[in-house]
Amino acid sequence: MSIVLDQVTKRYQDQPVVNDVSIEVGEGEFFVLLGPSGSGKSTLLRAIAGLTGIDHGRISLHGRDVTHVRARDRGVGLVFQNYALFRHMTVADNIEFALRVRRMKRADRVARRKELLKLVALEGLDERLPGQLSGGQQQRVAVARALAHKPQVLLLDEPFGALDAKIREELRRTIRAVQRELGISTVLVTHDQEEAFALADTIGVMNHGRLLEVGYPHDLYAQPATRFVATFLGAANLLLARQSANGIRFGATPVNAEGTERLRAGREHEVVAVLRPEEVELAATREQLTSNYIARGAVEEVAFTGALERLRVRLLDEPSAAQLLGAGSAAEARVEVTRTQPERRELPLHAGAQVALGARRLHILPTPISSFLACAPTEAEAEELAREPLLESLSTRMKTRVGLRAIAPAAEAAGELIEPLSGVAAIAAGDKAAETVEWLLENGAGEVLVLPRQAPSPSRVFIHWADEAVRRATLAVSASLLRHVTAEAVYLGIVPEGAQGAGRAAPMRKLLDARSEAQQSHGLEMRTELAIGETVSEITRNLSAATAQMLVLGITDIGQAGTAYRSLLAAQPGWPVLIVYRPTESRISPEIAA
Amino acid sequence: MKMVGQREPNVLPGFGITLGFTTFFLCAIVLLPLSALVLKAGGMDWERFVAVITSARSLASYRLSFGASLLAATINMVFGFALAWTLVRYDFPGRKFIDAIIDMPFALPTAVSGIALTAVFAGNGWIGQFLEPLGIKVAYTWIGITVALTLIGMPFVVRTVQPAIQEVQRDLEDAAETLGAGRFYVFRRIIIPTVLPALLTGFTLAFARAVGEYGSVIFISGNLPMKTEITPYLIVIRLEEFDYAAAAALGVVMLSISFVMLLAINLLQVWGRKRLMVSR
Repeated sequence: MSIVLDQVTKRYQDQPVVNDVSIEVGEGEFFVLLGPSGSGKSTLLRAIAGLTGIDHGRISLHGRDVTHVRARDRGVGLVFQNYALFRHMTVADNIEFALRVRRMKRADRVARRKELLKLVALEGLDERLPGQLSGGQQQRVAVARALAHKPQVLLLDEPFGALDAKIREELRRTIRAVQRELGISTVLVTHDQEEAFALADTIGVMNHGRLLEVGYPHDLYAQPATRFVATFLGAANLLLARQSANGIRFGATPVNAEGTERLRAGREHEVVAVLRPEEVELAATREQLTSNYIARGAVEEVAFTGALERLRVRLLDEPSAAQLLGAGSAAEARVEVTRTQPERRELPLHAGAQVALGARRLHILPTPISSFLACAPTEAEAEELAREPLLESLSTRMKTRVGLRAIAPAAEAAGELIEPLSGVAAIAAGDKAAETVEWLLENGAGEVLVLPRQAPSPSRVFIHWADEAVRRATLAVSASLLRHVTAEAVYLGIVPEGAQGAGRAAPMRKLLDARSEAQQSHGLEMRTELAIGETVSEITRNLSAATAQMLVLGITDIGQAGTAYRSLLAAQPGWPVLIVYRPTESRISPEIAA
Repeated sequence: MKMVGQREPNVLPGFGITLGFTTFFLCAIVLLPLSALVLKAGGMDWERFVAVITSARSLASYRLSFGASLLAATINMVFGFALAWTLVRYDFPGRKFIDAIIDMPFALPTAVSGIALTAVFAGNGWIGQFLEPLGIKVAYTWIGITVALTLIGMPFVVRTVQPAIQEVQRDLEDAAETLGAGRFYVFRRIIIPTVLPALLTGFTLAFARAVGEYGSVIFISGNLPMKTEITPYLIVIRLEEFDYAAAAALGVVMLSISFVMLLAINLLQVWGRKRLMVSR
């Protein structure tokens, strides 16, 4: 491994801008860090270069730990977006800068310079000043300069940002060719997914300081694990569907798609499906579709963009229309479609035309949080709850919707629900919260978010589960949550008082197991803390230690919410608590399991 | 399309009027008085002119005026740069306050600064009383003059260099550092060359201001002929003696020397700018 980052964290004013990032870049690999501005990708690159210190973690280059090595001794080459050429020096002096610093002999310097200029195809421009070169040429000089001292690692910070499209592509090819020829391990930072696809051997996607996913470009595009990666890498329609033992369906329409996740504990639940615009099939009628019918729609907008035609289709009065993620209200549910020219010729469409939509390929995200459902005794209270800042920011960041539901546990206690609960149920904290949680869990909810009034966005999320059986689910939900808030994750392991010696070894092992599972299966970097004492009082003590804290609590027994953990759900002092409930196998009724 | 009797609209309207005003004011306020000065000096014959401007007292005053001004401008260039650097690069409590204080010498009547400096540096002043036992006399010597001129010129350097330092992108320093350069190397090879044009401008302004300074210097200099008498003061003496021609002659000399020096610095800058020419 030529570049290894191990749990790197960097904070600015206590806010983590790079949050527990671990990356391994292989020998000669071209690694692209992709993310929107402010995602921490440039900070991470500067940390690798040694220009920014890190608060936690380790960085090693070619097996040498450089965490505390100064930038000038790290042997990296860095290329900046704005070239950062020394304007008062000629091209030759710029390129020879690193060699002069190292007091290399003149003849060797000149030879190396000629070699580099040839590499970036700028022969003969030695005596020019940077001001006399075009942007593309300047960036070539910057690349040559960064390579002069034969660095072991090449780092590029949005190197094409300031260039126009044509030159950008040309330079992209040059850089790729140079990188291949030298076999130098390279990390490039960009916000442009097209650039990432064109250059990368491996892509790592960052958002809010976290590394969300790492993988080969094609895998990330076809099988993203998170909604952020699904929408950031190319366009994507996110649809809410339901997964049951019988498969996936949109409202009442069953779809012939495979779920990637196992059915959760036998219960039917809501999932997020990714439908790429190019995977949507349009036909005049449902019968003419060659793929799975999903809904009827009306074409709203047709745009010609050269090779492809882009359409926006509004879904019509199907239950699935209400299930679309993103746009907000059901009336605005729209699907983006792209068609190739042959497809367009087959069925020319204009705005206003009615079509049947089919899905050629659906990908089900493994994310356990699909949408939110604000539950309160009356519709008005539910509406108020939906406006809670934490719920609002979570749903916006997750690009999902908050449904409203008036519930009356007392009246409906015995009866069956008319409409199934979907997504994460959200309720207000308070005296009755524990009963409401129980009722919701009994009636099919898998996760319940208990919200005190005006709870701030958390800066630290504690994770705890009552039973190892719910570990996996709790970690999955925590990971999904933490991808959308800039908070630190802490697993709280609690050992009963009096446990001695060997009694403590087991919890310790569990702690480490939990950490490695979080990292490997869910991409979640979390710290672990071991507390000794009574469970609820230890959790309360940790939650009270600072402001803006939150708890994710995994349980397997519905009764636990109302008894053991009751005090955590009170309005005062009040912390947001996300309860994850998965019944143990024995509790699943035989008919559902079958 | 044909253009019939229509003037092409100018990008910047009112060019004629503005040029007219500019020329008028330049003539009325700058050129006319200067030519009057030269004319006045021309009123006397050549021998007397030469005698006036080359008298021992005059020569001593030139040396003091230009020497002290050059020294003050140089001191300002070094410390003004340091000051500007601190103000731009670091954030510390009181930064805004110090930034505001820099402009004080602009606003203060120069006589006031002169009196204040004299009070502080005189043999019994706050600082003077500690320097005197060491054998350093500040007030009523050339050192005092230099101190006054430094005070007067400081804001010119700081204010011209500040934006230039802001422009030195951190990226440049970062790039140099990743290429293996140490701090001093970066300072010498990257920062100084980039800031140099602005530094020279600041130097020029501070120098020009110092040469023409009168108010603050006459209080602290003591005005001893041949020792601490600056040329502007000598001119005033001649005026008080109603020897207008001699005063004008000295003025012409100051004007010529200043002009030559400023021109030289400007040429140096043009050359520097060309090297730094930015085209993106």
